[in-house]
Amino acid sequence: MLTNEEILRAKDRALAHLRSIYGDDAETIIADRRYGFISGVLKDVVKKPAIERLAWSDKIDRVIVNRWLGIPIFLAVMYGMFQFTFTLSAPLMDWISAGFDFIAVRAVGISPEWLGSLIGNGIIGGVGTVLTFIPPIFLLFIAIAVLEDSGYMARAAFVMDRLMHKVGLHGRSFIPMILGFGCNIPAIMATRTIENPRDRLITILINPLMSCGARLPIYILLAGAFFPAYRGLVVFSMYLIGIILAILMALIFRKWLLPGPIGHFVMELPPYRLPTITGVLVHMWERGKHFLIKAGTIIAGVVVLVWLLSSMPWGVQYAGPDSWIGHLGRFIAPIFAPCGFGQWQAAVSLFFGFLAKETVVGTMGAIFAVKEGSLGTAIASQLSWTPLVAFAFMVFSLLYVPCVATIATIKAETNSWKWPAFTIGYELALAWIMAALIYQIGSLLGLG
Amino acid sequence: MTKKLNIALVGNPNSGKTTVFNNLTGTHQYVGNWPGVTVEKKEGTCRYQDYQITVADLPGVYSLTAYSLDEIIARDFIVEEKPDVVVDIVDAGNLERNLYLTVQLLEMGARLIVALNMMDEAGGRGYRIDLEHLSYHLGTPVVPMVASRNRGTQELLGQIARIAESRVPPSGLRIDYGREVEEEIEKLEDLISQSALSRLYPARWLAVKLLEEDEEVTKKFKEGNVD
Repeated sequence: MLTNEEILRAKDRALAHLRSIYGDDAETIIADRRYGFISGVLKDVVKKPAIERLAWSDKIDRVIVNRWLGIPIFLAVMYGMFQFTFTLSAPLMDWISAGFDFIAVRAVGISPEWLGSLIGNGIIGGVGTVLTFIPPIFLLFIAIAVLEDSGYMARAAFVMDRLMHKVGLHGRSFIPMILGFGCNIPAIMATRTIENPRDRLITILINPLMSCGARLPIYILLAGAFFPAYRGLVVFSMYLIGIILAILMALIFRKWLLPGPIGHFVMELPPYRLPTITGVLVHMWERGKHFLIKAGTIIAGVVVLVWLLSSMPWGVQYAGPDSWIGHLGRFIAPIFAPCGFGQWQAAVSLFFGFLAKETVVGTMGAIFAVKEGSLGTAIASQLSWTPLVAFAFMVFSLLYVPCVATIATIKAETNSWKWPAFTIGYELALAWIMAALIYQIGSLLGLG
Repeated sequence: MTKKLNIALVGNPNSGKTTVFNNLTGTHQYVGNWPGVTVEKKEGTCRYQDYQITVADLPGVYSLTAYSLDEIIARDFIVEEKPDVVVDIVDAGNLERNLYLTVQLLEMGARLIVALNMMDEAGGRGYRIDLEHLSYHLGTPVVPMVASRNRGTQELLGQIARIAESRVPPSGLRIDYGREVEEEIEKLEDLISQSALSRLYPARWLAVKLLEEDEEVTKKFKEGNVD
């Protein structure tokens, strides 16, 4: 009687032999042949009407999902999306900040003095600063909605499928990643469509690396102040760094944390459609309204807390180093010294940014309490940051800890505290290492 | 005298499988769990002529790999319980995707009927499907249905009775995997046919699954070493 061990050894030999011939797994060849058989049968069996739109879609797809052009086109589309966002939003942001300045100047005059300070410095300085970023965030959401409704996003996932396979995931994991550009929470929920639990877990763990809308204010503020000529490019680079690190982390997790086979799935490419204005606006609003709600609740709350900590103990210089917030900041700040942003103001901003990433900018607004339009200049002069430090800070903001709501979502979706804790840990480490590398290597090269 | 038949319903999600199940069994349904797992198992019974038919509604799946629990449940039921007839519910408007499962069922050697559902929608979109050719290529009966309007249920039952009665062994679709792959399949098939597992499963199917690096089948071979 033949032992099963011999059969398994014969199988391994067969697989090695087939891989040497085809350069691909036997599994892939077998699936291809099955589909080949099916399409052969269907050619004989089914008569389809010549639908104009379908043929038109196919022609576009020949370019858009082309093996070589697909990824460059995807990058170009993303770059175009950010250019569109900034060009259109710049004048709108100026108007909004001018409006808040007008109110702030009058608010500071209110008596008693502490109330004037709360409204002028705290609320308008903090919440007002965050609200200034409504135009770019909503414009970005319009751009994402157009790409989704037109059918392009499905193509982007298809294009990335090949690359994702290399890291042990598949295109279905890329759809939640793209959704993460809006907000990581619905993106993590969208991983429910991934059948294999290991694939799904990896997709959840890397999702917070996708730069969500809440991080955009940080980039716009710092890119505008430190890289005025290359704003679009610098912000684009943040998104790109996020994608690249997400793919790298997926590779690492797949290799050492959750090894297993790659699932297969059939990806449907819906025909291209002209997006409708109503559809785009509805989708923009679905995403954007959370930003407004957050500004009115969690961000306003944090900003009042920051104002209070900045004003205490009574009689201290507002947001000075001896205020309570100064003490807190000076306690944390040394951790960030190797990254270049070891100032206490930067440290507390990141500290409160854990609640919601917009509060990084909101906290800075409340601390510096300057006219919104010149917050960037205030950071440059008062913290004496160089463009290199600003870049390291942006990268750190991109990568460090998911916000509280995202952590709660990871807990709910994985049904354990282990994975949210793991996500916080690996992201903090990754953020610190990346920011320190950028600052240290940049300084050595004389970029600082 | 009543004759007993066991049949299983399989199909892609959204192929209308549950509607077909309801049409067949009406109120004679009961819900349990698959052994050892918390996935719901739905069964029902129906009478047709002098047949007493037990219908198992298997989880909706796109393929029969070992990647998800649903797929493993569906596959194990067909391979191990060996139902008299397997009814594969296929969305006529989505043939390419749905037939992937059909092909895998045929390769497993299941005694299959293809229930071509949602014929009205496919027709509405202008598809013309040559049922006779489809049946010829797959080597199985093909029954057109519109389950949402309970059309085709009697024809399906008639076909089930006919197939169960015929006693002809399933033809077992053979896909040509290309010269190199076929050579390896043949070698493995020879070895497998000398092993105990080939008494339970078709040898060619085991060989293909081994080459697909199917976890469950590989595990079966590893466990087989113990005894």
